[in-house]
Amino acid sequence: MANRVSRRQFMTRSGLALGGAIIAPQVLAACGGGGGDEAATKGVYFENWPEYIDTASDGSVYGPGTTLALFTKETGIPIKYVQTLNDNNEFFAKIQPLLSAGKTIGPNVVAPTYWMAARLLDLKWLDKLPLSKIPNAKNLVSGLQKPPSDPTGDYSLPWQAGTTGIAYNVKATGGKELRSIQDLWDPALKGKVTVVTEMRDTIGLIAMSLGIDISTANTLAQYQPAYDELKKQVDSGQIKQFTGNEYVGPLEDGSTAACIAWSGDVLGMKNPDVRYVVPESGGTLWFDTMTIPKGAPNVDDVAKWMDFVYDPVNAARITAAVRFMSPVQGVQEVLRSKGGEDAVLAENPLLFPDDATKARLHTFANLSDAEEQKMDEAFSKISGA
Amino acid sequence: MGMLSPGVIWLLLFFLVPVLILVKASLSSTPRRFIPPTFSWDWSNYTAAFSQYQPQFVRSFGYAGTATILAILIGYPLAYWIATQGGRFKNLLIGLVVVPFFISYLIRTIAWTSILSDNGPFVGLYRLLPWVGSDGRLLATPWAVIGGLTYNFISFMILPIYVSLEKIDFRLTEAAADLGSTAWHAFRKVVLPLSMPGVFAGSLLVFIPAAGDYINTYYLGSAKTTMIGTVVQDQFLKQQDYPQAAALSMVLMVIITTMVLIYSKFLGTEGLAV
Repeated sequence: MANRVSRRQFMTRSGLALGGAIIAPQVLAACGGGGGDEAATKGVYFENWPEYIDTASDGSVYGPGTTLALFTKETGIPIKYVQTLNDNNEFFAKIQPLLSAGKTIGPNVVAPTYWMAARLLDLKWLDKLPLSKIPNAKNLVSGLQKPPSDPTGDYSLPWQAGTTGIAYNVKATGGKELRSIQDLWDPALKGKVTVVTEMRDTIGLIAMSLGIDISTANTLAQYQPAYDELKKQVDSGQIKQFTGNEYVGPLEDGSTAACIAWSGDVLGMKNPDVRYVVPESGGTLWFDTMTIPKGAPNVDDVAKWMDFVYDPVNAARITAAVRFMSPVQGVQEVLRSKGGEDAVLAENPLLFPDDATKARLHTFANLSDAEEQKMDEAFSKISGA
Repeated sequence: MGMLSPGVIWLLLFFLVPVLILVKASLSSTPRRFIPPTFSWDWSNYTAAFSQYQPQFVRSFGYAGTATILAILIGYPLAYWIATQGGRFKNLLIGLVVVPFFISYLIRTIAWTSILSDNGPFVGLYRLLPWVGSDGRLLATPWAVIGGLTYNFISFMILPIYVSLEKIDFRLTEAAADLGSTAWHAFRKVVLPLSMPGVFAGSLLVFIPAAGDYINTYYLGSAKTTMIGTVVQDQFLKQQDYPQAAALSMVLMVIITTMVLIYSKFLGTEGLAV
C-alpha cells in the first residue's frame, strides 16, 4: 500500500543504505523543531508523497496551468507544496516528538495512508475538517465515505486511491490466467511467486481467500489462519521473496510468474503479458488521505484547498497526471469529455474498476495499537525479521 | 577545552555519544507502542535478543565470515598480481578496482538481481552442473547473499592488501632464492607474513559491514536468509521498537568487538598502520 511510484521505496531504501538508518527519536525531534515557524499567517502548506500531483511542462508543480497555480489564482490563497512524505513510518517518527509534546508541525495538510491516518486519529493528533466549508466533499465516492479509518468521516478526505490484487505474467504461468489467491499456490509456480512487505496487503488478500472479512476482523487471532497459510507457503518455498515495488522487473521478465501487486505499478508496465486481476475472493482498497494535524493554522484556507481539489474538473487534471484511482465522483465523465489520451484513461479498468470489481474491494479494518503490533510482529517473523 | 585534540572531540561526538544514546535506548521500555520509550534498566530487550534472534545472528556471522574468506581468496591474488606485475599500469589497475564503487551500493546490488535472475544467463549454465536440477536457482539463496556481500565489500580487502604488498621490498624474495628457498617457500615465509597487516585490516573492513548488512539479503536472499541487520531495520523502522533494536545493535557490536580482539590476538596488529 502507499506505493504509487516505484521510486518511492527505492529512494527510501537508498537513503537507508547510504547511512542515517539509525536515528533516535530525540535526534529527529531536534531536526523537526522549529517547523512551526514556517507556517505563514495565511495559506496552505501541504506535505504530500512524491509525484502525486500534476506538473507544468518544465516539471514544476507551481507552473502555469497546474492545479496549484489555478488554486492560488482562483482563491488568492498561497500554497506551499512539499513532496517529502516518503514512508508512513518515517513520517510518523518525524512528527511524533512534536505532536506528542503538544507542538504543531509545519504543514497544515498532510497525506498519511489511511491506516496511518487512523493511528493519528487514535492518538488525537488530528483536527476536525471544517466540512461545512467544503461543499464539494459531497463528491466523495460512496465506497470511501466514513471508512473504518475515520468512522465519522470528520477527520480525513481521501487524496488518491489504489487497489492491491494479483499480477501475473501469462508467459511465465504457461498461458494460465490466474483468478484467485489459491492459483498462486499452484505447484507449477513453486518458487516463482512473490508477496509484498506490506502486512495489510499480503495478509489481507490471503485472509479474504480464506473467507475472513477484513473490513471487520481486527485481531491477530482472527487472522491466524492467513498467517498460517503464509508461513506454510514461505516454508515450502512456494513464495520466493517478500518485496516492495521491486517485483516489477522480475514480473516483466517472467522470473516471477505471479505476485501480489499494486494496481498503480501494473498500470505503468508496458509488457502486454503482464496482467492484473482483483481476486475473486477480494482485493484490498487503499487510499492516502488529506488530514489536518493537531493545532495547524489557517484551517479555512485548507478548507478552500480541499474544496478545490474535490471539484471533478480539478480532480480529473490530477488523475490524468498521477494515474491513481480518484476518490472524486465525476472524474471519469470529465476525462471522457476531454477526448484523446484522457478519454482512453477514462476507460482503464485499473483506474475506474467496474461495479463487479468494486464489490470485491475491501479496506482493512482499524487495528488497535496492541493488535497492530502483534500482527506486524507476526508478519515480520514469517518474512524472516 | 584546548586540551581536547580534534581526534578526541571526533571520537566523543561520533562514537561515544551515539553509543551512549544506544545504550540508554536499549535499557528503556515502551509501555505502549508509538509512545517514546522511557529509561528503566529494562534488560528484557537483551534476553529477547538472544532467545529470539539466534538464527539471524548465526547467519550474519556465517555469511560475513564466508564472504571475508572469499574476499581474501579472490582479493589477495589480485592485489599480489597488481603489486608485482602491474608495472606502470599499477595505478590504472587499482583505479579499475575502485571504479565500480563510484556507483551506488544499492544500484550495484539490484543489478545482481538481474544477473542472478532465474531467467538470467548464469542460471542456465548453473543448471547444467550435474548436481543441480533443472529447477536450480541462484537468486533467493544463501549463496547469492554471500556473493553479494563478497562483491560489495571486496575492494576494502584488495586495497589494504595491495598497500602492504606494495611496501614490501621484493629483493627479499631474491635473497631467499639465493639462500636456496623455492618461490612458494619464499612467499610463505617472507611475503605472506609481511602482508598480514593488510589481510587483517581488509578482513575487518569486509567482515564488520558485512555482518551488519541487510541490503544484500533483502534483494538477493529470501525469508530464509535474513540477517541480524534485517531485524534491526525492521525493529527500528517498522515495529518502531527502539529499545529492542538498540539492544540488538549493542549485542552485534559487542560480539563483533570480541571477535576482532580474538582475531587480532592471532594475527597481531603491529604494523597495522598500512
